[in-house]
Amino acid sequence: MKKIIYLDNNATTLVAPEVFEVMKPFLTDQYFNPGAMYDQARNPAHAVSDARKSVADCLGGVDPNEVIFTGSASESNNMAIFGSISANPKRRHIITTTVEHPSVTEVCKEAERCGCEVTFVGVDKQGKLNVTEFIKALRPDTLLVSIMHANNETGVIFPIEELARLTKETDRCILFHTDATQAMGKLEIDMTDNFSNVDMLSFSGHKLHAPKGVGALYLRKGTACRPLIYGGHQERGRRAGTENVCHIVALAKACEMAMAGDMQQEYKQIVSIRDRLQVALMDRIPYIQVNGLDQPRLPNTLNIACQFIEGEGILYQLNEYGICASSGSACTSGSLDASHVLSAMDVPFTAMHGSVRFSLSRYTTEEEIDTLIDVFPGIVKSLRRLSPYWDVAKDGPRENADIK
Amino acid sequence: MAWEYSEKTKQLFMDAVHGKPGTHMGEIEDADGLGEHGSIACGDALKFTFKVKRNDEDPTKDIITEARYLTFGCTSAIAASEALCIIIEQKKYTPIEALAITNSDIVDYLEGLPKQKIHCSVMGAEALDAAIFDWAKKRGVDLTALGVDVHEDEVDDGRIVCDCFSMTEPYIRRKVKELELKTIPEITDAIKAGGACMACHHKPGGLQDILDDIWHNDVSGHGVDDAGDVSGEPEQLSPYQLGKGVERSMEEYIRPMLQQDGGGIEIIDIKDTIVYVRLVGACAGCAGAEITLKNLVENTLKERVDERIRVISVGA
Repeated sequence: MKKIIYLDNNATTLVAPEVFEVMKPFLTDQYFNPGAMYDQARNPAHAVSDARKSVADCLGGVDPNEVIFTGSASESNNMAIFGSISANPKRRHIITTTVEHPSVTEVCKEAERCGCEVTFVGVDKQGKLNVTEFIKALRPDTLLVSIMHANNETGVIFPIEELARLTKETDRCILFHTDATQAMGKLEIDMTDNFSNVDMLSFSGHKLHAPKGVGALYLRKGTACRPLIYGGHQERGRRAGTENVCHIVALAKACEMAMAGDMQQEYKQIVSIRDRLQVALMDRIPYIQVNGLDQPRLPNTLNIACQFIEGEGILYQLNEYGICASSGSACTSGSLDASHVLSAMDVPFTAMHGSVRFSLSRYTTEEEIDTLIDVFPGIVKSLRRLSPYWDVAKDGPRENADIK
Repeated sequence: MAWEYSEKTKQLFMDAVHGKPGTHMGEIEDADGLGEHGSIACGDALKFTFKVKRNDEDPTKDIITEARYLTFGCTSAIAASEALCIIIEQKKYTPIEALAITNSDIVDYLEGLPKQKIHCSVMGAEALDAAIFDWAKKRGVDLTALGVDVHEDEVDDGRIVCDCFSMTEPYIRRKVKELELKTIPEITDAIKAGGACMACHHKPGGLQDILDDIWHNDVSGHGVDDAGDVSGEPEQLSPYQLGKGVERSMEEYIRPMLQQDGGGIEIIDIKDTIVYVRLVGACAGCAGAEITLKNLVENTLKERVDERIRVISVGA
């Protein structure tokens, strides 16, 4: 079997070997319920509380009680939004953006069905949030602002620190939630410092080299948010269900690893590989654009739109070389809808369907990127040759190519 | 979570259940003092009895010679009961002196208790107090006259709502009603409940649920439109007038002032009495200058337009 070049780390990541090691005991002989009384339960119970402490430390040394373990970032997002709604019945307005993950967008739409009003603040062509529109959206009955830290498709980073400050200066009672799933471990997050105005923060393990099936919600002390899952005393009554010990220790280990190394150093290393890829592709291929180019972006993400061709064909050919990536094309989504993020950015149809996302990790090597740089221009060329919008002779679009 | 008991606690418990000589399980017939605390419903209950060596001239000089307990409860409740009896018998206290024994003396004797288990020591102290009140009644001692606070049981039976401070639902309910507490911060200020980890604020059966139940708060969200309660002050500027006023002050005073230093200001939005501005030019990007200027702008607008105005500075 050919070697895999995995460049889809915004979708999920490989489980770090060190993380797998810490999980093992809890999948085998340490199976005891951490809520049980006997001595044998002590080890798993300690493992959970140590993990809570580790995650709390990674968030800037917060009180471990402010960390709630969940099953995924999606669950954390659901709890943050539904929980805020049910704890604040006197307020019925929510502000979010047009480019959130579905676990925020869909929940907000569900909230609309239950009598809430939601304002979706838009972004410009570069994916930059319209702050004026955001300010306009703040109302006396606004109960929650939920805005992602970094976008999963484009990597564009929103100014959470600034948005949370504007929110709290306007009205301290408005809750501020951010989905930091893509940013955790990649950007500086300190709930006692730059994120001191953020009440709730979601993230998951499998984006930072822990396995799928575990997430966390940071819930600042005193924040009015009710549970999503009822029926147990776990997590101090705020999330029922026997603690998923092996996944919880995995999440904590993954967080520790992300923080332990020099984050700045790793950031620089990944950015340099990503930027080399970006420049090489832009040099070699005409009519491509980098989505979110002018904006602050995650160090590991490159979303590149190749005009006049379709992304699925690109992915298929990439995979022939063992390269794993993803696309905003309609054909590659389960719903056959084109990317709502790229639509919100007003990326033209001719480019949107040809968008490809490469997302790197700390395990990505220079050699892997060299391979990608070697094969990608040929793939684009091969598809453009077949495209009705492409003129091979002049190596550019045909006259009729602007049709939307 | 597995309880973290000290060696002392475990040893006292094991000694007691095995009925080792010197342990105090039992009930004294014709006790001089009998006190009970807890109930089977709330999961632990303690019946505490003691015998005194009577001082015929002055009953206040009776000496406690023997103490026994019957306890329905967990490991630490039994250990705490044992500890209580040991402390009392060792010290040869008069009942009035014994009143000074608190739950923390019991915790200390046990070399610590997990915080979820502190209420076991409280139960011991409460039963002791009750037994002493019983002795006083039997012996005709007027404790109140001796300056003793014959308090009602301050820890009611019932489900614990605030784990950190071991506060039960009945107690919190009583206090919420007595003191007319309407919000969680009011509860915390008044009786400390919910003041530490805060997890009990919004959990099911937590403080907010108690408040909603007592004050019949509408939690359905229907028919509520009193958000953003605009206080009914008379003589308020209309939004139009306020906007005009802000614009005028900007033109006449603020912009000329900022322009002297090569800076400028842009109004992003005005909502109610909040003015959102962006500083541009020389002053933008300098944190110190931004705060000074924000205050300058805010004070000018307060003075010239409306004293309720707040200015929020928006980043570039």
